[in-house]
Amino acid sequence: MTNDAITQAQREQRHKELFASKATHMTQKYLRRMRALGGGSDLLEPFFDVLERTYVRWEDVVKPPDTPTVGTYCVQVPPELIYAAGAQPVKLCSGHYTAFSIGDDVVARDACPLVKAVAGFKHMGTLPIYENCSLMVVPITCDCKKKIAGLLQDECPVHTLPVPANKEDEDIEAFVDELYGLAAVLSEKTGQALSYESLAQAIDRMGRAQYELSRFLQLKRDSQGLLHGTHAMAVMNAASYLDVDTWADALGKLNDALAVRARTGQLVTNKDLPRILLTGSPLVFPNLKIPLLIEESGGLVVADETCMGERGLSDPVVPVDRSFDGLMRALAIRALRPCPCPTFADNSQRMYRLRQMIRDYRVEGVIYHVLRGCLVYDYEYRMVEEELEQLGVPVIRLESDYTDQDVEQIRIRTEAFVEMIKLKKGPRGASGSSR
Amino acid sequence: MVSKKALITGIVCAAMALVAYFAWQFEFFTYDTNSYTTTAEQLFTTDHLARLLPLALIGLLSALSIVACVALRKRLALKDPRRMPSAARGVSQPQRPRHRKRVSRFQVLRWVCMIGFFVFMVFGGILLGARFSWISIPVLSCPANMSQLTEASCYYLAHLDELASLPWTGVLTFLVSTLGFVLVFGRTLCGFLCPMGLAQDVMHAIRQKCKVEGIAMTDRMYQSLVPLRWTMLFLMMGLCFAGGNFCNFCPAISLSPIAAGLSVSLYASGFLMVFVLVAGFFKRRFFCTICPLGYLMGLAHAIQPFRIKKDCVACTECGACYEACPMGIKQIYTEREHSDVTDINCIMCGACVQCCPEDRALSLTFFGKGLYVSKRSRVVGAYGRIQHD
Repeated sequence: MTNDAITQAQREQRHKELFASKATHMTQKYLRRMRALGGGSDLLEPFFDVLERTYVRWEDVVKPPDTPTVGTYCVQVPPELIYAAGAQPVKLCSGHYTAFSIGDDVVARDACPLVKAVAGFKHMGTLPIYENCSLMVVPITCDCKKKIAGLLQDECPVHTLPVPANKEDEDIEAFVDELYGLAAVLSEKTGQALSYESLAQAIDRMGRAQYELSRFLQLKRDSQGLLHGTHAMAVMNAASYLDVDTWADALGKLNDALAVRARTGQLVTNKDLPRILLTGSPLVFPNLKIPLLIEESGGLVVADETCMGERGLSDPVVPVDRSFDGLMRALAIRALRPCPCPTFADNSQRMYRLRQMIRDYRVEGVIYHVLRGCLVYDYEYRMVEEELEQLGVPVIRLESDYTDQDVEQIRIRTEAFVEMIKLKKGPRGASGSSR
Repeated sequence: MVSKKALITGIVCAAMALVAYFAWQFEFFTYDTNSYTTTAEQLFTTDHLARLLPLALIGLLSALSIVACVALRKRLALKDPRRMPSAARGVSQPQRPRHRKRVSRFQVLRWVCMIGFFVFMVFGGILLGARFSWISIPVLSCPANMSQLTEASCYYLAHLDELASLPWTGVLTFLVSTLGFVLVFGRTLCGFLCPMGLAQDVMHAIRQKCKVEGIAMTDRMYQSLVPLRWTMLFLMMGLCFAGGNFCNFCPAISLSPIAAGLSVSLYASGFLMVFVLVAGFFKRRFFCTICPLGYLMGLAHAIQPFRIKKDCVACTECGACYEACPMGIKQIYTEREHSDVTDINCIMCGACVQCCPEDRALSLTFFGKGLYVSKRSRVVGAYGRIQHD
């Protein structure tokens, strides 16, 4: 009996070690590919380092000592609220293939890989960003998130945040109430009551990050080809595992360096590459194979409309009423109204967002990414396809899973898509005339 | 079967009509003999100060009501566990430097206009003489103050029978000047000149300074105010024919004539002014949403040169403008086709443009020229300076 127990423990230990080695190997491979893209990747070392620390060295979030961490999912959980309660938010949406293969056995077959990867990490119980969470806040944005909330409850305290299906005034009021509920749970966890001052401070801290982000996006808009889109996504992904001030500082330095490059005309490429917009299901590090494949096959991801990318942080909180309730309302409004997430029944505003991005970034082709089992995004493909047809912008739908097995199929399709845009651009684009 | 909501609306409107009709029964502060003019010598004398007493009384009553409301709300919040965090006293945290709010030049201009106009309307006639008194401006600067710089259109609009008995030149100058102002400015006058607007904006500014929680209104609540506005309009235009006097009910009479130091008796208007100030404290420009004069001026929104324009593609529907709008104009963020979002209720206060975080998504224009255009840097730029401060 004792012997059996020991071997059981040893087996588990071996299983964990094997998982660790496979997982770090996978992460390293994607970091290597991102660095190999070149063109400004030296500037991005601080951000790569964050990803490396989290997924290769398996360290916890960078945060002030004695700060409890609160895990969040999706973009509807206001990080301001968590900072104001004296805790550190960490975004736990996962893109890890190794964890996915574990989670595949834990959750329903047709669940989306993002949720499977989360379940996998939590099942292995080894990654510090998951294990050190004193609370997880799960917004109910889709069926998979709802069920994973129930699953996580066995391992960690979970607070579910219902997200309304519409954005009418009554829905906003209800969501404000939900945020008050979340605030009560958070301050109970940290022992710090929220006040006007602490919340205003947290909004200021996030505001500075958003200021740097809008500078970053402005630089990208003004001189396209300043940075690889994959790298921009790495920058956005790194924000999940850092405290907001550190991220804002790093982004500020990157912006300064990029501004110099923009002035001196130092671009990642002098060629007029096909400008591609990436939209659809979340792309979480290390699952960046699609932007990597696009840019490896000669395209340029000029922008992304995904929730782990620009969408997650770009809409600022606009406090118009200087009272505690006014700030809470501003948080609720920011979390719902500008959010083009397909969790909302009527999401036609996403079409306008896409239209604006196509205009601002002079987009020549759109790649619509659907994670296998991500129904809400799959539903909206038709709407996007019809809209883009009117605008005369080609679009393809790429379905992918958290595995390397579909890489070659995706590569063939992205290469064909990129070539098609090059042909459409005519000989000037195809021959790669310099700007 | 009448719905509960319709019944309540009906009762409120009927009560309002009754109070308006019997307004002289509700004595707030009365004099035996009223005087409607003042002279330069009387200004800023102890006599003048003594005559400000009704205004002080209104201020005191408003302050007491506000304190009572805040205390009541706090008690209710303490009972509601979900609202606890705001009610409970927090552990004090180390303070970081907060960013400085950028002062908006447009808003400074608006405040200068409002205050300057208020001063001129109250004392202008005495200081500059009655040479502009043939002009009628459609704002709620009460014409009971006969020493003000210009006439206000509200008097003849509330006493149409008297307008009819004027000589034709009087009718003509009234119509021409009133219509002229309405057609050129529309409700811009509400946002930039109206003394009642100033009083409410001051209350709002005080609440912002004290960081007291306001009352946020949903579109349904705004909708339920529409019958009240119609009743107000009906009362203003019709009371004179039924033997009533709207001026005894109108809250504006307790502002500029009293400030000018006139002995004007206040009836229901005094109580109503307290309500206007308290409501304006918790909900910015509450009275403007039911103002009958404002509604009439709003009819010019279709042709007035001051307009709110929107770039529908740049808009992210973030709803900040709707949250900021004191008049609760929802279409400003839901509109997705038309570039013109000027609404009948818009008072051109610029709050929407000020808080819009998207470049050029909203703009206040005059004959198509952008006077005040939304900028992302105005919203997020303020945060960027935290580190440099």
